[in-house]
Amino acid sequence: CALRARDSWGIFAFLCAALCNLPAVPALNGTEELGAGQSIQKTYDLTRYLEHQLRTLAGTYLNYLGPPFNEPDFNPPRLARAEQVPSATVDLDLWRGLTDNARLAANYRAYSRLLCYLRGLDGQVGTVELRHRLGHFCSSLQGLVLSIAGVMSSLGYPLPAGPAGPPAPPGAPAAPNDFLKKMDDFWLLKELQTWLWRSAKDFNRLKKKVPPAVVTLRMEARGF
Amino acid sequence: MPALLPLLLLCLRLLRAEPPAYPAVISPQDPTLLIGSSLTATCTVSADLRLRAQDLYWTLNGRRLPAASYTALGPTTLSVALARLNGSRQQSGDNLVCHSRDGGILAGSCLYVGLPPEKPVNISCWSKNMKDLTCTWAPGTEGETFLHTNYTLKYKLRWYGRDNTCQEYHTAGPYSCHIPKDLALFTPYEIWVEASNRLGVAVSDVVMLDILDVVTTDPPSDVHVSRVGDLEDQLSVRWSSPPALKDFLFQAKYQIQYRVEDSSEWKVVDDVGNQTSCRLAGLRPGTVYFVQVRCNPFGIYGSKKAGIWSDWSNPTAASTPRSERTAGGCDPKGGEQNTTLRRELKQFFGWVKKHSYGCSNLSIKLYDQWRVWLQKSHKTRNQVGKEPFTLLSAHCGAVDPPVSPSPRVASKQGPALSAGSTRR
Repeated sequence: CALRARDSWGIFAFLCAALCNLPAVPALNGTEELGAGQSIQKTYDLTRYLEHQLRTLAGTYLNYLGPPFNEPDFNPPRLARAEQVPSATVDLDLWRGLTDNARLAANYRAYSRLLCYLRGLDGQVGTVELRHRLGHFCSSLQGLVLSIAGVMSSLGYPLPAGPAGPPAPPGAPAAPNDFLKKMDDFWLLKELQTWLWRSAKDFNRLKKKVPPAVVTLRMEARGF
Repeated sequence: MPALLPLLLLCLRLLRAEPPAYPAVISPQDPTLLIGSSLTATCTVSADLRLRAQDLYWTLNGRRLPAASYTALGPTTLSVALARLNGSRQQSGDNLVCHSRDGGILAGSCLYVGLPPEKPVNISCWSKNMKDLTCTWAPGTEGETFLHTNYTLKYKLRWYGRDNTCQEYHTAGPYSCHIPKDLALFTPYEIWVEASNRLGVAVSDVVMLDILDVVTTDPPSDVHVSRVGDLEDQLSVRWSSPPALKDFLFQAKYQIQYRVEDSSEWKVVDDVGNQTSCRLAGLRPGTVYFVQVRCNPFGIYGSKKAGIWSDWSNPTAASTPRSERTAGGCDPKGGEQNTTLRRELKQFFGWVKKHSYGCSNLSIKLYDQWRVWLQKSHKTRNQVGKEPFTLLSAHCGAVDPPVSPSPRVASKQGPALSAGSTRR
């Protein structure tokens, strides 16, 4: 395995390590970064899986809300109330310039909040099938939040303080009427979708930055 | 210019992208209505927006409503008249929306149109091995499905006890509930279902039942189907009684159903009684059959009522022996004749061995050898029946065949037979 820190060789080195040495890797500092690399990959995979799950869930839920919510070009106004849901949309340069910590923290905060709102959705929804799908999605989303927390701790970053549990987020009154609630639900699903797209890119970026260089260094140290 | 100033201020205000909290208000907001009723709704636009009534339009579930049904009630208020409403398209409510001319949504109202519930009907329950109780019911009317209707199953012990509410719903379909524990035997239960939606409440009739009268169990285990010796038309079925109820005193009835592999018609054997084996007769030889068994634990603890049949066991397959009379798939056209003939020949050779001298090495093998030779020499099959006697004579000397007319005796050896005509 080459000893240069370039991306493709780095990936090759990482693969070598994974295939040949994984059981034998000693518990050095190296394993933490190695662990982080795997966690990041897992988190990335989880976002892709959730994205796929969301497509089915959103389809079913929007059909439940009825037209025009399930029409493809539907674009209702985002009322002041809807600003409660954290937005994934961000300036490109700003996004590029994010530190790893800030990037991970933004993801963590967003999904924790989104999970809360989604859980709030659960009790009032009509059909049994929809409730099951929502419940399943919430569990998977919880898994994502934990996965992000895992990455942060393996990289030594502190977890951002935030809404930890299920209770309704503070200062968010229930929508004053049923139609506005439907619009809130629509934006929640939209924002969830945008976040999952964005997270895939976030974790792809992190994947490239974290494991290979470190692993290559470790392998140098062990005389490969 | 001074005229431009307010316009500029307005533009700045809009550019700041602060949407008004509620651009318009619809009345009535989220009403509940009976099917067939009419509704007049109004949309009042916020003064900030500088929109007038003629700039607005309505949609219902995404479809634009005809302008003929609109009436301007004021400079910023437009109303729409809806007549003879159908049941809601979705349980979350029909979406009645007030739009500005460019299509933007100003406000919306969810219309809940349906019928009040009627008494749920057809309550039926069963208990699996006396451990739990599952009940199903049917909604009183189809109209309830337009609105979200909540069903609650309640039960109490007759003569005493408080009302209990079932918690686990949808275990056996959308209108079902499961009570997993704390069920008493020997005292009847009173069971009923309450249905409620936005338009009203309805309570079913009370059903009274004793757990012991509605017991069902698992299907019989270890179902084995096997042949009965060489009998072509019979199969023997054996099973074990369901283990869960083995400690309880009950009589158990069984039922068997079977079908041929490529048919979908099941034949049922009803009078199996409480044995754990049965013989199926009158079957087709050489056929694959699928067999299932189920159990009814009636008479538990002396209950007089029939219990409830369990599910059928998983199908078990077995085949009846293939008869030699049956035309096989492998032999060509002469096959049927062939097997009959072979049997006869075997019997004949056996007899010959007993009753003649010098034919000790006579056997069906010799016949087979001759057959092979026959094929090679392209003789037709019609001659088959007569040839063996000719062959016999060649090997054994004169033998009086027991039944057939005396064949012509050839003095030459086997292979030379081809030269002679042995046609009869």
